[in-house]
Amino acid sequence: MAFVDYYQILGLDKNADDKAIKNAYRKLARKYHPDLNPNDKEAQKKFQELNEANEVLSDPEKRKKYDKYGKDWQHSEEFERARQSRRQAGAQEGQWYSGNDGGGFSDFFESMFGSASGFGGGGRPARFRGQDYQAEIHLGLRDAYETHKQTLTVNGKNIRITVPAGVENGQTIKIAGHGGPGSNGGPNGDLYITFSVAADEKLRRSGNDLHLKADLDLYTAVLGGELVVETLSGKVKLPVKPETQNGSIVRLKGKGFPVYKQEGQFGDLYVTFDVKVPTNLTERQKELFTELSKS
Amino acid sequence: METDQLIAIEVFCSSYEVEYAFVESLQEHDLIETVLVNEQRFLQIPQLNRIERIIRLHHDLDINLEGIDAIQGLLDRVDYMDREIAALRNRLRFYEPGL
Repeated sequence: MAFVDYYQILGLDKNADDKAIKNAYRKLARKYHPDLNPNDKEAQKKFQELNEANEVLSDPEKRKKYDKYGKDWQHSEEFERARQSRRQAGAQEGQWYSGNDGGGFSDFFESMFGSASGFGGGGRPARFRGQDYQAEIHLGLRDAYETHKQTLTVNGKNIRITVPAGVENGQTIKIAGHGGPGSNGGPNGDLYITFSVAADEKLRRSGNDLHLKADLDLYTAVLGGELVVETLSGKVKLPVKPETQNGSIVRLKGKGFPVYKQEGQFGDLYVTFDVKVPTNLTERQKELFTELSKS
Repeated sequence: METDQLIAIEVFCSSYEVEYAFVESLQEHDLIETVLVNEQRFLQIPQLNRIERIIRLHHDLDINLEGIDAIQGLLDRVDYMDREIAALRNRLRFYEPGL
């Protein structure tokens, strides 16, 4: 358990008065407050450190104890006695602010002062809503094609959720009430799940549309015919017009990706023909091509 | 408006330990919307996250309501841009699947 230098965290020297502590805390809290730095884990960590430093330095009793024993807390008998008396005094502490991603205090703090006791030293009553949790679900493109159930474990609890067809890569959904428990009978926080949808080797997604490259032999491209392509909903027989050019695109309406939360609606599938020129021609075939080129 | 999506302002104030006048001032500054049902004022539950954030900014950081209004505007823009970046990343991935 490492010593935590609260003065350094607030950028103060040891003689700082109450006003300087308050000002330093306010200034840094405005910089790192989780509400002003959404999804920034570094800022949240920094904010927790600031709270802890302020909790100790803005409370004369805690500051005195910290100044006296802080660095030598492991070896101090007096500190140990203080700790014992704190334990005997019982759990007087109130609930701890949870905010966006509250988290607790450092081991150093817990060891020296017990569990946290209020927010920012301002004496404001505890908050009631639990903290929000963040989770990530990794899906393949084909998994995201169909609505399905998935179980995930958040803070030791199994939560079964429905993943709606058509979720986008990077999309976040909120599961209300599945975050941390509220305090003093307040509501639970929410669970935010972000989907990471992996790219597919063959199919490329653009919104609700899918794009596919299909190999087409030269003879079918020239003379026309049929081509079977594999879509996410099964195989489709595609008519190929005579004299189809390399790179030409055909749209298959409604064969793309499902539209998120719009049941029965699908994007389109765009098939790009990749005409393959035959290789390893026989002498006879070469003769025929030569003849063709002269016609 | 479904009434199960509403919370009476008095109940909210009691739960969050804020003054009724504070909620009124939020409405005066157009930071929140309230709904009048049978002569009683309610907050919309989907707005609660936003209101909680306002309370935190006001109490924790001592920011006045004008400042919060400006911050909310900027945070809404950040949120919009985050979504825009995610959409653009997905479009870019179409051309560079390894991203």
